[in-house]
Amino acid sequence: MITLIDCMLFALILFIIGLTGIFFNRKNIITLLMCLELVLLAVNTNFIIFSSLSGNLEGQIFVFFILAVAAVEISTGLAILVMVFRQRKTINIENLNILKG
Amino acid sequence: MKQIIFYFFSFFALFMALFLILTKNSIHAVLSLIFTFILTSIIWLILEAEFLAMTLILVYVGAVMVLFLFVVMMLDIEEVIKKSKFVKLWPFVIFIPMFLFLLTFYTYNHDSSSVTINSILIQHSVDYNNMRELGTLLYTRYLFSFEIAGLLLLVGIIAAISLTFRGKVGNSHYQNIRKQINVSSKNRLKLKN
Amino acid sequence: MINIDLFVLTKIIIVLPLVSSLISGYCSLLYNKIKNIYIDFISLFAVGISCLISLYVFYGFYIDKYKTLEVLLYIWGVTGGVNLEVGILIDKLSSIMIMIVTFVSFMVHIYTMGYMAQDPGYKRFFSYISFFTFAMLVLVLSNNFLQLFFGWEAVGLTSYLLIGFWFNKESAIFANLKAFLVNRVGDLGFIIGIAAILYQFGTLNYLEIFSMTTKNNISNFYTFYIFGYECYITTFICLCLFVGAMGKSAQIPLHVWLPDSMEGPTPISALIHAATMVTAGIFMCVRMSPIFEFSQTALTFVLIIGTLTCVMMGLIGIVQNDIKRIIAYSTLSQLGLMMAAVGVSAYSAAIFHLMTHAFFKALLFLGAGSVIIGVHHEQNINNMGGVGRYMPVTYITMLFATLALIGFPGFSGFFSKDLIIECIKISNMPYINCIYYIIVFSVFITSLYSFRMFFIVFHNTKTKSILYNNVKESSVFILLPLLLLTIPSIISGWVFIMHIINNYFENTIFVLADHNVVSFVKEHYHSRLDFMIHGCFSFISLLSLCGIFVSYYIYIYKPKLPYVLKFKLKYIYIVLVNKYGFDIFNELVLTVLVKKISIICGKILDKYIIDGIFVNGVARSIFYFSNFFRKIQTGYLYTYVSFMIVGLLILVFVMINS
Repeated sequence: MITLIDCMLFALILFIIGLTGIFFNRKNIITLLMCLELVLLAVNTNFIIFSSLSGNLEGQIFVFFILAVAAVEISTGLAILVMVFRQRKTINIENLNILKG
Repeated sequence: MKQIIFYFFSFFALFMALFLILTKNSIHAVLSLIFTFILTSIIWLILEAEFLAMTLILVYVGAVMVLFLFVVMMLDIEEVIKKSKFVKLWPFVIFIPMFLFLLTFYTYNHDSSSVTINSILIQHSVDYNNMRELGTLLYTRYLFSFEIAGLLLLVGIIAAISLTFRGKVGNSHYQNIRKQINVSSKNRLKLKN
Repeated sequence: MINIDLFVLTKIIIVLPLVSSLISGYCSLLYNKIKNIYIDFISLFAVGISCLISLYVFYGFYIDKYKTLEVLLYIWGVTGGVNLEVGILIDKLSSIMIMIVTFVSFMVHIYTMGYMAQDPGYKRFFSYISFFTFAMLVLVLSNNFLQLFFGWEAVGLTSYLLIGFWFNKESAIFANLKAFLVNRVGDLGFIIGIAAILYQFGTLNYLEIFSMTTKNNISNFYTFYIFGYECYITTFICLCLFVGAMGKSAQIPLHVWLPDSMEGPTPISALIHAATMVTAGIFMCVRMSPIFEFSQTALTFVLIIGTLTCVMMGLIGIVQNDIKRIIAYSTLSQLGLMMAAVGVSAYSAAIFHLMTHAFFKALLFLGAGSVIIGVHHEQNINNMGGVGRYMPVTYITMLFATLALIGFPGFSGFFSKDLIIECIKISNMPYINCIYYIIVFSVFITSLYSFRMFFIVFHNTKTKSILYNNVKESSVFILLPLLLLTIPSIISGWVFIMHIINNYFENTIFVLADHNVVSFVKEHYHSRLDFMIHGCFSFISLLSLCGIFVSYYIYIYKPKLPYVLKFKLKYIYIVLVNKYGFDIFNELVLTVLVKKISIICGKILDKYIIDGIFVNGVARSIFYFSNFFRKIQTGYLYTYVSFMIVGLLILVFVMINS
């Protein structure tokens, strides 16, 4: 029997993996954005779980919108990334700290 | 049976996510993310969200991840050999997951540990169609949000293009159709005697 | 008698000198080219009218036509329940004082016309001495401590301005700074005393305070404990007020300014440092008799300090060579005597001696000024001699003044000095026997140094003087005050002695019954003749006559004797010439100490601690703080994301818990 806590644990661990990817990311911004996607995925999964628990389709509507927004966000983020690369010729995170206070 | 499928796919998805953050090669990272999406989509299928599962693959994998791939292949991403400072950020790894676990278990009522996925899934009627129900809800109650989401996508397109488009660069040979149509014999032919 | 309101008269007395001072001051600043004669007329007119009116007022009080009048002129401010007022209190004590002040001031104004005729700062001088008269009148006629303090400070200021009148002379500048600073030290004690009065009595008005002390039980007052001894606040008040009087009336140890103040012109030495300003301290102590009477400790302290001043300053007078300094030390000695009289609660006797001393000391100073002009500004008595033959009027007046000073029977000084010494003899303060003998010794010393000066200056024809040929009598402006001042210095004692003994000041001076030495004296003497005959044959007069003969013997008959004595008593001579080391102590110890303290305060406290730690330190700590927090902006994206996540989790936590 699949329990509720199993499903929630799955979403939770996916979320945590995404977070740690954001923190321990020393490589490049692409990884950052991908881990952001992971986080969003985990949240979506959570919504689906509770939507199927309660039979209420509102959860799935919300996931719909999250998907749309996430797509826009990724495209904008990648556009910015491309601009940064044109300026700096690198997307290594270590080198992108000129806004340092 | 469902149990085995669920556990298998969920473990695989988690494994792929781990692979994503641990690999050094960016292409491998993107591919692992794609794979994670697919696996999660299957899980969503198990949870009876068919439309969204398909949307996930179509939109996310088909559009967004392809975008990622384009960018990754366009930019010159070097492979980092440096070790990440794992030890320095140990509070994040210990406390935040612990906090989240506590949160989850706190809100989860232990009395209903017997709530299984069979019982959590509502028994639907035979001709229950997820897509139809979703559409009914989307186009009546959430119409305004739907339209706004469409507008948001338009804005996203404009944003992305206006950020990166620099105009004609260098000697690019592109075709200007109008000029091609409006050509006349005077511009092309020269009679030589 | 024209019955004019006393209040109007008092207002005229006070205002006229102020007006003349302002006019003279204005002219000296802006209209310096106009003839001096106008300023003469204005000042003489103003101060002369003031003098005549104050004589009339004094006469009115003398024949009991006027009663004590207190008028509140103006409330300057009200703070914390205390009224800061400007008012007039005129009674028998004030009337005597204003008579003295205006009369001597008038004499000095006339004298200045002759003495300072060629001085470029003529108008300025008139302005200053008129202002001094005004300030002294304010001091004497005040009815509360604030106005008293205003007058106190104003006379101190005028004294500063006048001592340094010839400001191009460096010694004058040193002297006037010294006078002002020593005065300031006394004022510190004075202010503390006024503050203590305010604390205990809650008011600054004399009559309210006096009613509180004389009627209420003293044991209800605030007491505090010092070193285990219980001490009433009245003792503290009296001691602090007496510190102020020490500064103003030049008692030991704050006497060091008076000899140096002789750097100023002679008229001001007569006006300020003989007759009026230095008596302000004594006047204040007598006025505060209702408070002083209740503190045996303070009275004993006053007595001891007065006696010490009297004898020590007299001893210095024997070895001085400057004519004005001898008279200055004589003033110091007589002030000590007056303070000793205050100490034995013989307040009337002190005021009486103040009056007679004002007249003959002013006469002495003015006469010395006449002599100085006559010998063309030579001030060392060893270079003068036989002046008496050439300046007869000065000679006669100085002779009368000196006889009055030493207490020759019949002159005014005799009555007042003898009264004081009688009071000291029959008083029952502690150590009174010892003090009595010291005072008697000082009488001998007084006659010794005063006749030393007299004989050396006027008689000593054997000394070679380069100025023999041109010495001539001074102008009429100088001689007229001398003559006018001789009259009171001869007769004022005779006229007033019985009134003083018969409790003339009964409403204004308060004496406790068992301290009232003057009334004990009254039982012995029933008339003036009685007093005089008794005094003629007393030990004191014989001692002073003896002093005359001893000084004649030492300085005229055997002129080599002083040198022999100086050689034999070398150490005493050195101590006396160095004025007991007070000046040396002030210069080497006190000033150095104050300088070091001020350097500590300035450099270390102000620069390093306050500026460095508090002011700059705050700025620097903000700098370091912000420097630390600046590192949060690392510029790395993941840092920002992690902050966002942590913040979000905290928010979730808070939302769950609420």
